[in-house]
Order: sequence, then C-alpha cells, then structure tokens
Amino acid sequence: MDIQPIAVALKFAFLAILFLYLFWIARSARKDLFVARSSSGHDRTIGASPGGNREAWLVVEEGGGLAPGTRFDLFGGATLGRSSDAEISFSDGYASGIHARVHPRGERFFVEDMSSTNGTLLNGAPVFGETELADGSRIRIGDTTFRFETGGRGS
Amino acid sequence: MIRAAARNRELVALLPVAVLVTIGFAAVFAQSEDRLSDLSLSYGLYFLAICLLAHIFIRVRLPDADPFLFPLMALLTAIGLIMIYRLDSELARDLARDQANWFVVGLAFFAAVITFLRDYSALERYKYTIALVGIALLLAPRLPLIGEQVNGAWLGVRIGPIGFQPAELAKIAIIVFLAGYLWETRELLIVKARRILGLTLPPLKYLGPLLLVWGVSMFMLVFIRDLGSSLMFFAAFLALLYVATGRLSFVVVGVAMFFLGAWFFYNTVGHVTDRVDIWLDPWSDPGGAGYQVLQSMFAQADGGLFGAGFAQSLFVIPGTNDALVPAAHTDLIYTMIVSETGLAGGIAVISIYLLFAARGFKTAILAEDGFSKLLATGLTAVFAFQAFVIIGGVTRVIPLTGVTLPLVSYGGSSIVANFILLALLLLVSDRARRRAREVAP
Repeated sequence: MDIQPIAVALKFAFLAILFLYLFWIARSARKDLFVARSSSGHDRTIGASPGGNREAWLVVEEGGGLAPGTRFDLFGGATLGRSSDAEISFSDGYASGIHARVHPRGERFFVEDMSSTNGTLLNGAPVFGETELADGSRIRIGDTTFRFETGGRGS
Repeated sequence: MIRAAARNRELVALLPVAVLVTIGFAAVFAQSEDRLSDLSLSYGLYFLAICLLAHIFIRVRLPDADPFLFPLMALLTAIGLIMIYRLDSELARDLARDQANWFVVGLAFFAAVITFLRDYSALERYKYTIALVGIALLLAPRLPLIGEQVNGAWLGVRIGPIGFQPAELAKIAIIVFLAGYLWETRELLIVKARRILGLTLPPLKYLGPLLLVWGVSMFMLVFIRDLGSSLMFFAAFLALLYVATGRLSFVVVGVAMFFLGAWFFYNTVGHVTDRVDIWLDPWSDPGGAGYQVLQSMFAQADGGLFGAGFAQSLFVIPGTNDALVPAAHTDLIYTMIVSETGLAGGIAVISIYLLFAARGFKTAILAEDGFSKLLATGLTAVFAFQAFVIIGGVTRVIPLTGVTLPLVSYGGSSIVANFILLALLLLVSDRARRRAREVAP
C-alpha cells in the first residue's frame, strides 16, 4: 500500500486540531469553574429584611449535607431544621423538622431550641430558652455545626 | 446573557468536531480511494447537521446545561466513526453506516428522556422499581430463548432481528438506584458506624445495599461472565459510597471485599482463571488465548509516537481477508486508534474522557440537593470507569475484559445507553446551573 502524502498531512492536521481543541476546552472549562464558584450560591439570602440590623451570618462548619463555608444571612432571623419548611434546611439524622431558631432583638442575636428531640448545643452546652450568641459561637445540631459570625464583612 | 453564552460556547465547540470528522474521513478516503466511494467527504456535513439539531434541542429545553458535555460526547462518537469507517475499508462491511444510524437513534433517545423526564427527582421516588428493572436487565441474557452468548460471556439479548446488550442500560438503572438509596441512608451509615479493629465499619443493618451490590457484581463475574461490567459497577459504587459518606474506610472495606471475592473466583471458576492467567502471561498461549492481547500490544507499539496514519496500519493479514487484530471495531478499537494516530492519539482520547469526567464532577459540585449530586457523580464515575476498564485491558494494565469503549466502540446499545446517561447528566446540570445563575449577583 503506497502512503499518500496527503494522508500523512491530514493525519497531522487531525492531531493538531484535536489537541488545540482539547486545550481550548480545558482552558475555557477552567474559566467556567471560577465564574461558577463565585456565583454558586454560597451566599444564600434567607429571611432578608433590610431593617438596619447588624449584619450576621451562620456559617456551616461541618455536616448537614452542606458545603463547609456555606453562609446563611440572618437579617430577620431564621429557623433551622431538617424540614424543607425550615429556612435553613439541612439533612441530619438527629435533627428535628424545625429544630431551632435564631432571631435578632435589636443589635443582639439569640438562639432558641424549638423543643427538638435531641437538643441544641451552644459551644458544647445545651441551650435552654433563649441564649445570646456572640461572634464565633458554635451551634451544634446532631452532627451539624454552624458558626455564628457578625460584623463588618466587606464594609 | 450567561445562558446564551453557555449555549454559544457549545455551538462553537461543535464546529471543530465536524472539521475533525471531515479530515478523518478524507484521510481514510485518500488512502483507500479504490475501495471507498467519494461520499465520505460529505459525512462531516451530515455529522454537523445532526449535532446542530441536537444543539438546538438543548438550547430550547435545557438552556443552562453544561456547554462542554455534549461536544465532548460528539467528539468521541466522531473518532469512533472514523475508525470504524477505516475498518470498513478493509473488511468490506458497512459498520460505519450502522454506527451513524445508531448515533441518530441515540440522540432520539436523548431527546425523549429530556422531553419526558422534566423533573428527574421522580427517579428518586421510583428507585426500587428502577433497581428491579436493572437487575432484570442483567439477568435477561441468561434466560432461554432470548439470551445469547458472545465470546463465552452472556452479554446479549436477541428478540427477533434486534439484539442488544442489556448491561449497558442496567448500569444507568443501578446508578440511579444507588444515588437514591445512599442519599436516603447516608446519615445512618455515618452516625451508626462502629470502630472495629481500627476500621470504621458501617452498621450491619445498613450494610444490606453494600452486600447486595457486592453480590450482584460477584454474580456477574460468575454467571454472566462479564468481568468488565462487574469491575466497572463495583468501582462506581465505591465512588458513590465515598462521596455520600466521606468515609475512606468504607472504600477500603469494599475494595478488600472485591479482591477477596475476585481471588476466590479466580481459584474456582475456569474462565476467570483463564482471563487472569492470560493477562499475567500472554506468551503461555500466543496463538490461542493470548493472541488478542498480544496483537493489541504489537499494534500499539507499531503506532509509535504519531501513528502509521489513517488506514495505514497493518490490520489485515497480508494475502487474506482476515483481521490481524481481533474485535478491532469493538473491544480493541483503542488499539486501532493508537496504531494509526500513535501515542498522541491515545493521549487525546484519554484526555477527552478526563475532560468529560471533570465536567461531570463539576456538575455534581454545582448541584444543590444530595440526590442530584450523587446521581451526577455516579453517572460520571461509571462512564469514566468503563473507559478505564477497556483501555486498561488493551494496554495490559488489568485483565482484558469485553466492555465497550464508551461511544467510540461499534455497538448500538452502548451508544443509546450513553446518550441516555448524557441526557440525565444534562438535566442535573441545567437545574444546578440555572440556580447558580439566579443566585449570582
């Protein structure tokens, strides 16, 4: 079988275009990764009421089927639980439907257990009634931990 | 704006694929002009037209879906078509035309799934039914009347003139089931885990599914004699289990269980022993059982860095009409790609699978709910592992087993099943990316 020069040229053209194409896909796919990360919903706004309260967030530390670092805004307070009716809904075998709630009063934020089956821990201690949250407090529900953050992020 | 950009990128990404099809077909044609009709040059245009139709369909139905998944799949199909067309030129068969028809049928199934399954969370509700269908599909080749034995494995089902390989569809059914089941029980698997001998083990009560999948894959090893699918299922299952629970120890236990079972059957079941022995030492029977593996190695070595060129590798035994490389259009198609386009071509093909897997896992990361995450992970993992099992087989990294190289190998069931897989992945991707876009500032 004779080798046709045109066939050789076509083979190299094929490989060259194939590699350039894959390189281009890899590059634009990488760019897409960055765009999507900054907009992938890690800043979920829940119960937003621009009423002039302090800015505060609950940040997922671990568990609950949520990505660690996921932030939930707490303008008007929020309910936490396994139910999809909860404003911060997560999956945890030990969480009740509506397990706890966090709500503001003036400049201060409080956490309250909503008669859950397994209780809520604030910095390792069970929560009875309304308990005030400080910056960095850890709320633990079942195997899920949230960190309370407050103050001037980005301002 | 963003959704238009994604779809436009998909459109742009399809054009080079059509160019590659044209170049490939032209190269094959230039080399074997005497044996082929000059229809070949218009194939690129046909291919582009079909892809454009699919693109317009995605644009209308899933405007936010990942822009790279479909072009990468089209590229794999294109490379497969070129290689099969090249084999046709010497085998005097019409496999490429059949394959092109299957591509169209695959896209029809793709469109049907997207049209009729707008809300894929229905899959989660019917997961047990889907699991039963999957197991029934796996068993079908062993049934009398419709079952069919191919190369010692019970892979095919034949009803009248239509034959298909149900394992290809079963893989999707089983992934859907596992995604649904693991999502439901993942917390229990983690929370109730016990530490025994330094290993964290899932609770016995919830070990059921793990044992079931292990049992199914061992069953396939022995009764269906489908070693490749067995390996692929189990690997995808462990990937899902790891993603669902985040416990490496579960994976360690699973791998240990698989090797125990594989070792047991290696010592007791004849055809498993044969496969492994041939892998370890193909020269023990170079003219018989080791022939396929050896020809595969020779053909790849012959390809060198840039390959012999399209339609230029030694494929037919000189003076005869018999193929030198057995099953070149199915199991050993990767061998032919490397033989004709060299190491460069082989790297390119593996890169396509890697890029596809990267996009699939990206979809899983973006997806919001756990079932979608697990579904995208599982579908991507099973697709990637299938490519690994067959490429690993022909390069003698693992024992050679007969699974198709997804979308590249000749075979209708494989094409149809993989386009259904793509449809599900794009459904997950569309929902995830739409949410991401709406939340974006």
